[in-house]
Amino acid sequence: MEEKIAVVGAGSTKFRPDTSEQNWKELMFEGASKAYTDAGLNPRKDIDSFVTCAEDYWEGFSIYDEFVPDQLGAAMRPTCTVCGDGLHGLAIACMQIMSGMVDVVAVEAHSKISDLNTYNDVVLFAFDPIYNRPLAGHPYYVAGMEMNAFLNGSGNTEEQCAGVVSKNMTNALKNPLAAYGKRVGVGDVMGSEPMFSPAKKLDIAELVDGSVVLVLARAEKAKDIADNPIWITGFGWNSGTPWLEGRTWGRASYAEEAAKMAYKMAGIAEPRSEIGFAEVDDKFSYKELMHLEAVGLAGRGQAGNDLENGRFHADGDLPINASGGSLGCGNLIEASGLHRALEVVLQLRGQAEGRQLNDVERGLAQSWRGVPTASGAAAIFER
Amino acid sequence: MSFTHWHGDMEAQYIYTAGIAGERFFRELKDNGKLVGTRCPKCDITYVPPRMYCEKCFAELDEWKDVPLEGEVVAHTEVHVDIEDNKLAEPFVIGFVRIDGTQGGLVHYIKAPEVRNGMKVKAVLKDDRVGSILDIEHFAP
Ligand SMILES: [Zn+2]
Repeated sequence: MEEKIAVVGAGSTKFRPDTSEQNWKELMFEGASKAYTDAGLNPRKDIDSFVTCAEDYWEGFSIYDEFVPDQLGAAMRPTCTVCGDGLHGLAIACMQIMSGMVDVVAVEAHSKISDLNTYNDVVLFAFDPIYNRPLAGHPYYVAGMEMNAFLNGSGNTEEQCAGVVSKNMTNALKNPLAAYGKRVGVGDVMGSEPMFSPAKKLDIAELVDGSVVLVLARAEKAKDIADNPIWITGFGWNSGTPWLEGRTWGRASYAEEAAKMAYKMAGIAEPRSEIGFAEVDDKFSYKELMHLEAVGLAGRGQAGNDLENGRFHADGDLPINASGGSLGCGNLIEASGLHRALEVVLQLRGQAEGRQLNDVERGLAQSWRGVPTASGAAAIFER
Repeated sequence: MSFTHWHGDMEAQYIYTAGIAGERFFRELKDNGKLVGTRCPKCDITYVPPRMYCEKCFAELDEWKDVPLEGEVVAHTEVHVDIEDNKLAEPFVIGFVRIDGTQGGLVHYIKAPEVRNGMKVKAVLKDDRVGSILDIEHFAP
């Protein structure tokens, strides 16, 4: 990447299933205030542009972007909303800097999903209205189908997926932001209620509220603002076919392509030896294994074995989701990807407290937009 | 302590247009009990459901092809809960069936004593059809 861009501020609320006392604007204000304090910047004069990531139906507003500026310190300033995951927003923020128009950009993503009483119905509303929606039912069946095809095609097993849950929920015990930290064994997951077989209750990340904000700056500014700038050296995004009928079931092509784009920008030829740790999407347990294979951090059909050999544990060669991921922290909807970026930044800064990884230099954050999408993004961060 | 909330809901109704390709698909299904797809000769892809453009090369497609009611299970799941997360008395199986001779297929209910990927199944049609994906009752061996 020619233009050097750094993360100079990072902030987040805790992730909580219930935030009844705080409205969505206050949640965003809290995340933003923490990030601006961390950066030592006043948003009313030091930040040139603001990007937030949101989707009207999650929020419960038509034209949600109108409701964004005040709680971010962005009133009467250049502001835009990206209808995508937090890493899509990060990519837009980077490109605004690369264009030369601005020097410092704040990017925000959040979930106030506890305000939505009919989450499953909104997810079902994301299906093709004519070919898929009339079949009705709980929309997560698509993840059950995909898990079935992935396990059948790759040779990874249900027990290995349960191992992902055990690892991530246990990792979350060391993350003060996480909502679902718990000591859970493979047997507990295997014995949890069948939902969308082979997916069981504990294979599925629970929803959670929270707001995450990163402040980015071009190199010349970054060095003045931060003692510990974390450099964004590559990013990418991709969408596969939205047609359920046109997909290669069991393969995360969007993640392959998004990672390829980010690796190319970062000059990474051999991700397995060049990336020290990663935060990858695990909204369903199998997705972590599928995404690791897609982004080239595990061989085809090998992610489950690698997991069982301890490679992805916090003390392994390639720690994955040391934060606890979505399984341990909760499903943050559009903030999921930005949370992964936040964790990579904290690890590279050496600020990950009890879950700090040793000697990390470069990490990957990877996102997926959830059922029923085939869309995602990726970003590379370096110290 | 309970916090103040305002309950909101949204009246939003749509009439989704089936479109040029969808119109023909649903008419064939309703009137003739047949499945049809469109083919891209350049990419040698047959789309089911039919599309009037090729996703791969972006060509406009006008080559129509009758395709069989038979296909193969590619992915499936047994669903144990309803959309309100309540446990179903009777779990059901839903899956993706690749229609023979095509690169597409349909997502639908599958009824069989034991569903496996790779299993050959056939669309079971309703007698009274209205031009909807529910004109197919389910797929079965
Ligand atoms: Zn074509």
